[in-house]
Amino acid sequence: MTEDRFGQLLGPYVLGELTADEKRELEPHIEECPKCRSELDHIQQTHSLLRDMSALAPSAELKARVLAGIRSETTASSRSRWRFWVPLAAALLVTVVLGAGLLQVIFDDSSTGVPLTGTALAPDASGVIRGERVGENIRIELEVRDMPELREDEYYEMWYAKDGDERISCGAFRTGREGTTTVDFTTPINARTYPEIEITREADDGDPSSSREKILEGNLGNA
Amino acid sequence: MKAVGDEDLVVRVAGGDEQALSELYDRYCRPVYATGIRLLGDAFLAEELVQDAFTNVWRRAETFNPGLASFSTWLHKITRNRAVDLARRRHARPLSVGEDPLQIIPGGPEPEDKVDSWDVARSLSRIPNKHREVLELAYFEGLTQREISQRINVPLGTIKSRTTAALKNLRQIMTSPLSKESRGD
Repeated sequence: MTEDRFGQLLGPYVLGELTADEKRELEPHIEECPKCRSELDHIQQTHSLLRDMSALAPSAELKARVLAGIRSETTASSRSRWRFWVPLAAALLVTVVLGAGLLQVIFDDSSTGVPLTGTALAPDASGVIRGERVGENIRIELEVRDMPELREDEYYEMWYAKDGDERISCGAFRTGREGTTTVDFTTPINARTYPEIEITREADDGDPSSSREKILEGNLGNA
Repeated sequence: MKAVGDEDLVVRVAGGDEQALSELYDRYCRPVYATGIRLLGDAFLAEELVQDAFTNVWRRAETFNPGLASFSTWLHKITRNRAVDLARRRHARPLSVGEDPLQIIPGGPEPEDKVDSWDVARSLSRIPNKHREVLELAYFEGLTQREISQRINVPLGTIKSRTTAALKNLRQIMTSPLSKESRGD
């Protein structure tokens, strides 16, 4: 066996895939050849990374579920588009129909969304939310800009609120160092009875209630 | 044949190409899942994270800007954001009987300050197709060298040397200074 051929067998060697004869020839050579020993070391490291990676994989069925999900979403989306931001007349009309002074949202693709403005804690921060109805849920897209930098143990949380004291969480997120991110949340359709939107800064202290430390705020009822 | 780049695939996803999303899923489902296991400590939630992350890729593909970040960096950020959200929701609800609190699984993937599955996945997407093919069949499908030979109809001796070449190529890309990216954690 030539030097080149020894080198070519190092991959199958770490995989335990050499024949007894190949192994019998290769192993003494590795002992004597510093170049092959060095290459074997590198190949062994890469082999370990791939082996670790292969050990943690989602179930085979998940991919089919993901693809089925986007397929049904595309179909649903092409049937009807629901968005939060509406011309004032449409919002008022729906509000009257529901008898609940808040936003019901149906809007077209030209919408710019509901604006969120920075509070005194972060006057430069801003954001916008857009949404669409998907079955019995609302899928919300939240985009924020110029948010204050978070500490490692902090995160932002979006809330639906009403009457000053009642609120439900839509979900949590962090921004990058530039203070900008776009995230999606899904909430039940009945969350529409909460017209105010708050983005608070929260400490990861195990307390699920709002810190009330508002960074952004907006009102769906004013849409 | 040269590998189709991740960024080219995202452009196709933005145009509604489901096959392109399927290819990106095959390339990156493992690091997303591993991140879920590490951050959420729960296989069920980790799968939910995979589903969330790739659904987001589908919805947001047209907003992806390759001038700002590579696809893997972009997906990593999406994954982190969704993981924080999932962790928060789990944290906020009472645990079921017998359910463990949020934790990092001992022996799970290491923190992302060294070579990890994201680096491996990104590098795999950059090696030639014929190299990626033998590695995926060997490591992810568990085929022997002989089975790979039969599957792709290439002589066994060629498969052995190709596997070695693929491992060397992968390492070279992983250790290239241009390949290592900051993900801003």
